[in-house]
Amino acid sequence: MTAAPSIDRASRTATIGVDGDLAIPQAKAFYDCLRALARRRDIRRVVVDFGRAARIDGAGMASVSLGRKLVNKSGKKFDLVNVDAKHQQALDLAADVPPLAQEAEIPTTWLERLGTQVLDLRDGLLASIKLFGDAFKQGGFVLTGKKKLPKGATTSFIISMGIDALPIVCMLSALLGATLAFQGIVLLKRFGAGIFVADMTGLAMVREFAPMMTAIVLTGRNGAAIAAELGTMRVRGELDALDAMGISSSRFLLLPRLIALSFVQPALTLIGMFVGIAGSLLVARLALDLPAGIFWARVVARVDMMDFIHGLTKSFIFAQIIGFTGAYLGMGATADPSSVGAATTRTVVVGIFLIILVDAIAATIGSLGGSA
Amino acid sequence: MNLDSMLLCRKLTVGYSADHPVLSEIELEVRRGEIVALLGGSGSGKSTLLRTITGLQPPLSGGVSLLGEDMYALDDEARRMLLRRTGMAFQQDALFGSLTIQDNVALPLRELTKLPAAIICEMARMRLALVGLAGFEHRSPAQLSGGQRKRAALARASILDPEIIFCDEPSAGLDPVVAAELDETLLKFRDILGITIVIVSHELESVRALADRAIMFGHGKMLATGTLPELEQSKNEDVYHYFHARSA
Repeated sequence: MTAAPSIDRASRTATIGVDGDLAIPQAKAFYDCLRALARRRDIRRVVVDFGRAARIDGAGMASVSLGRKLVNKSGKKFDLVNVDAKHQQALDLAADVPPLAQEAEIPTTWLERLGTQVLDLRDGLLASIKLFGDAFKQGGFVLTGKKKLPKGATTSFIISMGIDALPIVCMLSALLGATLAFQGIVLLKRFGAGIFVADMTGLAMVREFAPMMTAIVLTGRNGAAIAAELGTMRVRGELDALDAMGISSSRFLLLPRLIALSFVQPALTLIGMFVGIAGSLLVARLALDLPAGIFWARVVARVDMMDFIHGLTKSFIFAQIIGFTGAYLGMGATADPSSVGAATTRTVVVGIFLIILVDAIAATIGSLGGSA
Repeated sequence: MNLDSMLLCRKLTVGYSADHPVLSEIELEVRRGEIVALLGGSGSGKSTLLRTITGLQPPLSGGVSLLGEDMYALDDEARRMLLRRTGMAFQQDALFGSLTIQDNVALPLRELTKLPAAIICEMARMRLALVGLAGFEHRSPAQLSGGQRKRAALARASILDPEIIFCDEPSAGLDPVVAAELDETLLKFRDILGITIVIVSHELESVRALADRAIMFGHGKMLATGTLPELEQSKNEDVYHYFHARSA
């Protein structure tokens, strides 16, 4: 407890007696009392009497230290009296705190900030090209038998990235195909062309929607997982350990994931194409009473091998985008665990952006070439 | 029970399964103001015992009385309140990477007290100065060396002025100068702040500099207890070998 200050008008001195503990529960009241005294103009000196003080903890020391600064700043004198050796030792700790060094703020103009961002972008691009080149080189070593992939890693990733993702890819593709058919039927029936829903959904699923849907699902699922795994390895020093042992992290960590994705993504896309068409077939059967044989015959007549090649080639490119984005951002994490979360989020955002960008470029090229 | 007893373990058995306990029937007491070292080879169960003493892992049997309270008889909230009167410095510092060093140290105060921000800030800076980290307030843990991080972790463990602090391998992996500085900090905690300290350590130099008493574990039990000179002259073969392995 802190006794209320007694004020000697003659000497314009305020005395606060610390009676009992000066610890966390009492610190705020004590500090407020000193603050109030610091503001008073009729006082020239503040005295804190420790004669009846018991325990002083960190909060007590801090409140004395802050109070002293406030009182001194207001031009008054601050004194401690009746301080025994033990309390003095504790209070000396507060006196040892050096003034806080101000963090240097570097003022920047918008041009400097823009320049910094451009330089960062350049560094990022160079680093990603380096990673790509290293992975390519290591892939060459593996293909020529000079080096080996970690045993069983690729198979394990094919299972975790592909087989485990099959249900969600099938479900979303079926729903997408069905939704597409619903929308198509509403529009095409107005022109008496409902049967062409088979052409529309078949072509759309094979060329666009199955590759895109599978890529988005795998970005959220596998791209994020790659970034989180590699980021965590960075935080735990495992990537540094590989470098220190002279083992290429591109070959040891990236290649198995990339190879697995290169198999898994086209395979899931192919499955997604057929499941999506099946979803639209079901809707056409229910909404138009269209026989399955006729629906399928129209799909076969409209969708040719080039359309499948177009869709599967895109899905292969998407796999590389997902793998490299996850690996680059994951490996770029710092020792700070929060950077792993940031890398994972950025992988999903950047991955989906690049996928849509590449898809748009492919669609433009395809339409210019007359194949769309 | 002695009024000055800060920690009392009675017939304490710790481990991960009742079939294979790590340590059995441990009887130990730590008194107010003592610095006690828990010693033993790797895998001897020191860290498991520390986890049980600090409420992180329930015992297989027996009891832990911490600051006069039977810890595992308390409900969760009461146990949390009890643990606020203790501090723990982990072997892997366990600082939050997303916070600055000052914010790491101030975190328990911000979360558990209603002190004004100015006092919290001053307390954190004082504690950082005490552990030799004045000027590092705005750095992130990733920008600190291993020794500095350990000291920051110690500042955080002590910020609420706990009655007892547990330190798991405080000087492991530190160079002798930094380890000696850390030892000095721990002594300041005991001498100036009156904090009782329990350390788990392999560093015999640190234990010699710090500990009033040591307790040696091995073969799933407590092998010996006493002052360092007493243990060094122990007739127990394992204890003797532990202290004289290098000179043998």
